[in-house]
Formats: sequence, structure tokens, C-alpha cells
Amino acid sequence: MFKKLTSSEGGRGLLLISPPFFYALLLMAFPLGAIILFSFWTQNFMDVDTTFTLNNYRTIIEQPIYGALLQRSLFVSGTVTLVTVVLAFPIAYFVSFHVRSDRKALWLFLITIPFWTSYLIRVFLWKVILGYNGVINTGLLNIGLIDEPLTFILYNVNAVIITLAHAFAPFAILPIFVALEKIDRSLLEASQDLGENKVMTFFRVTLPLAMPGVVAAVLIVFIPTIGDYVTPELMGGAGGKLIANMIQTQFLALNNAPLGAALAVVAMLSVTAISLVFVLLNRRWLRGRS
Amino acid sequence: MTALITLKGVNKYYGDYHALRDIDLTINAGEFFSLLGPSGCGKTTLLRTIAGLEDVSGGVVMIGGKDMAGVSANLRPTNMVFQSYAIFPHLSVAENVAFGLRRRSDLSKDDKARMVEDALSMVGLSGYGKRASHALSGGQRQRVALARALILKPKVLLLDEPLSALDKKMREQMQVELIRLQRHVGITFILVTHDQEEALVMSDRIAVMFEGEIGQLADPETLYRRPNSRRVAEFIGKMNFLSADVLALGDMIEVDVAGLGRVSVQAEQAPMALHKGAAVAGVRPETLAILFDGETTDRKLVDGVVDEVVYYGDMTYYDVRVAGIDQPLNIAMKNLIGRPVLEVGVATKVVWDERSLVLLA
Repeated sequence: MFKKLTSSEGGRGLLLISPPFFYALLLMAFPLGAIILFSFWTQNFMDVDTTFTLNNYRTIIEQPIYGALLQRSLFVSGTVTLVTVVLAFPIAYFVSFHVRSDRKALWLFLITIPFWTSYLIRVFLWKVILGYNGVINTGLLNIGLIDEPLTFILYNVNAVIITLAHAFAPFAILPIFVALEKIDRSLLEASQDLGENKVMTFFRVTLPLAMPGVVAAVLIVFIPTIGDYVTPELMGGAGGKLIANMIQTQFLALNNAPLGAALAVVAMLSVTAISLVFVLLNRRWLRGRS
Repeated sequence: MTALITLKGVNKYYGDYHALRDIDLTINAGEFFSLLGPSGCGKTTLLRTIAGLEDVSGGVVMIGGKDMAGVSANLRPTNMVFQSYAIFPHLSVAENVAFGLRRRSDLSKDDKARMVEDALSMVGLSGYGKRASHALSGGQRQRVALARALILKPKVLLLDEPLSALDKKMREQMQVELIRLQRHVGITFILVTHDQEEALVMSDRIAVMFEGEIGQLADPETLYRRPNSRRVAEFIGKMNFLSADVLALGDMIEVDVAGLGRVSVQAEQAPMALHKGAAVAGVRPETLAILFDGETTDRKLVDGVVDEVVYYGDMTYYDVRVAGIDQPLNIAMKNLIGRPVLEVGVATKVVWDERSLVLLA
């Protein structure tokens, strides 16, 4: 049996992927299945009632708080994605087109520097920057631009967006950079040779060819931010909590794992639906690339 | 002949590197002009300065009587076929060809579609408009690049090694098609190539470039028969170089050629200024011949021994050792009926003629 497996190309392939496959099965598929299963059960004080029911989903639809939280989560991730990608594009463009090729690696290295500190510490640092007595407020107060500290930059949705947009910037820069690097520079010269100026060349050649990178950046930023729990917990205050915080509350504080599971499933389905749209868009853009 | 492009004292530096050195050049309207040279000689740089894709460090580029200083590539009456063809991968064949028509607001959508179809049929790609550009072969991509440039009716079409990516058969076919196309549209073509054969086949005039300078500017026949320097002679075709001693100058030049003896040749056989004393005599392999058994000649003969035989099918190249010459003479013979392929070591007679000699300093 083993000999048969190692003798053929396909068999060797299966053998090679089997350890990660079982790992993924154990740590991803199994918990995912458990969550889905839980979402159809109900909490009965200390026990879990395992009779199949859609009550959790009914609760989510009927009580406006869940919908509002999901909506806010989608809004926050959408805004974070937009801000991140729009700010990342010029950086990626600059590194790809205006940095000498022997210095590009150095630039990419510098872009990854924020990753050298833990995510949690970076969130706390933003707290120091944005806080009531933080760097921005004391700075603006000292130069006399404001009379009292700004309050709209901490413990609300804005703070969550600022922090997340910063945290995910490298994830957006890198795929866009790769897409820009792949563009044959003679295409840009051809566009100019055919009568287009630099601005039109950007919109007719550079941007369409960079779209796969942009779509990848959108997915990479959008998917994790919608489930982010740490940043809204620390930066969001009362009005900046997102769906992930509610899931945590259901599981731990309210001891209602089935409702938490159902919320998780709904959040996942929303992400999947939106991501599919982008994946299909990407297909369209990728059509005809060799 | 009216001058369409005039370059005066054009220089180009990349940092310390002097890529173009004082280029003076006039290219006529309707001409098929080639820039020929080894890689790194500056021929592509020169083409790109005409296109406006490179700035000149000094000198003047004029197209159609207008100084092109400060005129960017998108505003010049030139279009280019890039070496890589630069076909836009996100656009279909028709969209590629129509790329430069966007700004033509005087044309209706139907006009543009008709122009695209005309341009495609001109390069033999009728009906290919809807194809995705990535599904094209190398030859087809090149035709799309041609159509895309010619649809804009430029004053000058610039071709940057357009045939180098094609296989030999395809290349020869495209050479003929390009010549026909150029006669048909009447646009000035400037071709950059490192392939001397291609330049000879296609061009009205050729500028041979070395290290940022023009070594010789002439029509193909002059370039081949009367190269004005040893490096031009070496670059274009094959040539035997024999050491020579110039004895007397004048309308006729008296010269003693190693291995061949003392002859007098026409002054025009020395394209560059000569002095008495040491010189080099060049002779093309096909102007020499081997005298086979049974053949006669009234030309001069010299004894030799076959040193090497290279059989090409239609031709055989012989290296023949001749007393008094260091390098064996390279001789090209057509394999006519009744001519055997000689073997190495056979004693033979070499036919030569002083009219085929070129004297170089």
C-alpha cells in the first residue's frame, strides 16, 4: 500500500499534503462544523439543548441590535478597506515606479517594520496618539489650533477605522506592488507613443493592469477586519463595538454559545457573499492575462 | 527627396556613459531607413530620442521642419513598433488597434470600427478584432502592433528590432511584407536591427553604428561593396583581410597584397583616406573562386591547399591556405552541377580579381 503510494506522482503528492490536510481538518473544519452545529442548538441555563431549532437565527433577525451591529461591522470594514487601499495604492505605485530597482527591497522591508511589534501594542500606541491627553490633542493644544481636546478620535468608530487602516496597510501595499511590478513598462511607453499623456496612460493602462492586485488587497483587508475583535474592544468605546465583540459577549459573558455561534455563522456568510462578488470581479479582470 | 527628420549634433549621456556622440543625420520622406549595429551601439537609444521616449542631452531633433525639443512622445508625429510589441493584455485585438483613436473626436464610432478593420486587413488579420490579445502568436502580435501604429497615419514609423523574436521562416516572410507595406502606405520607416542581412534586404539607406557613432551611412550595395572602415567590413557580411603595402597613390593605386602580389586598383576601391605604406586589403568570399578541374578562367590565379570545408547545401565554404597569408582565405562556392565538394588537404587554384579588393587603412 505504502509502496503503491510512493511510486506514482499523484500518490507522492497526496502523501505530501496529508499532514497539513489533517492539521487543517482538525483545527479548521472540525471547529467550523462545531460552530455550525451549535448555532442550531439552544442554551438551557447551564445545559445545551441539542434539539434542532432555528430559534437563534430568528432572534438575530427579530432583534434590531444584531442587524445594527452587523451593519456597523460591514460599514467599518468597508471604510477601512477603502481608506487602506486608496492610501496604499500611491505608496505601492511610488515604490514600483519611482524607487531605484536596487532599493525596492529596502523599501518593502521598511513597509513591514510595523509588524515588528505585536498587534496589541500597536493598538495601545494608537491610544496614546489619539487619547484625550494624547499626542495629537496636546500637540494641537500647544500650538493653539484647538481650545479643548478633540473627542471624536477616540472611543468611537473613527478610532477603530484609523487603527485598523494603519494595521492593514502593508497587506494592501504588497499585492498592489506586485501587480504594478508585473506591468511591462513598454506598455506605458506604447500608450504615450499612441498619443496619451501620463494621466490617461494611468487610467487606460496602469490601473486596469493593477486591478488584480487591488482586488486582492480589498479581499485581504476586508475579510479579517470584519471579524476583528481587539481593536473595537480597546478603541471603540461604547459606540464602536462590532459584531465580533457581541459574539464574544454571547459566548463568555452571557453564556449563550448557541446564539454566539449563530452570529458567527451569519457574519461568515456575509463575508463570503461580499468576497464572492470581488472574486468574480477579479476573474473578469484576470480574463485574458497570460 | 525632402528631408523629414534632421538630427544635428545629438548627444545622449546616461550618467558618465556617452550613449550617442554628435549624431548628424538626415532621413528623407518616404524612405526605408535602417539603424544597424551591434548591441549597445546606441541604435535603439537613437530611435527612442526620435520617438520622444528619451530626452537628448544636447543637439537638435527636427521632424517635418519642427524642433522637437520639449515635445513629449504623445505629441510627436511618430509611432513605434516595440521590440516586445507591447500589446495591451487587458484589451482585445480591435481595442488595441483603436487605442490611439480615442482622442479623435471627429470620428464616429462606425468610422473608427471601419478604420480598425481596414488596418487589420492591411496587416492580414481580417476578422481577428474580437480575439483576446493573449491568444495571438508572435507574428500576429507583431501585426497588431503594426496596425495599431499605422492606423494613426504617422509621418514616421519606428520599428525597434521588430523581427528579432520571430523564427527564421517567419522573419523572412515578414521582411517581404514590411517592404510591401512601406511602399503601400508611403510612410517613412526607421528600422533598428542588429541583423545585417535584414538591413541589407529591407533598407533604402543604412546607418551603421558603433559605440554611439555612425560609422557609415550608405545604400546597401555601397555598404557591402565599399565599407569605409574595417569594423564596418567586419560587421557586414564576411570578409578576408590581407595585409597590404600601398606603393603609389593617384587615380590608380599601386598596392602589394600579401599572397596575391602587386596590383593596381581604382581609387574608388579605397573608400577611406590612405597613406603610402601598410594597409589592409579586404576581399569578400564570394568574389574569390576555386578553379575546379575542367574549368578555365582569364582571371588571376594563386595556388592553395584546402584547409577546411563547410557544406551548406546550396553553398560550400572553403578555407584555403595560400603561401604568404597568415589566415586561410575564406571562399564561397555555389554548388553548381558537376562541381565536387573538395576534401581537406587537396591542392587547388584560387581565382581572384583585383577589382573586388577594398583597401582600408
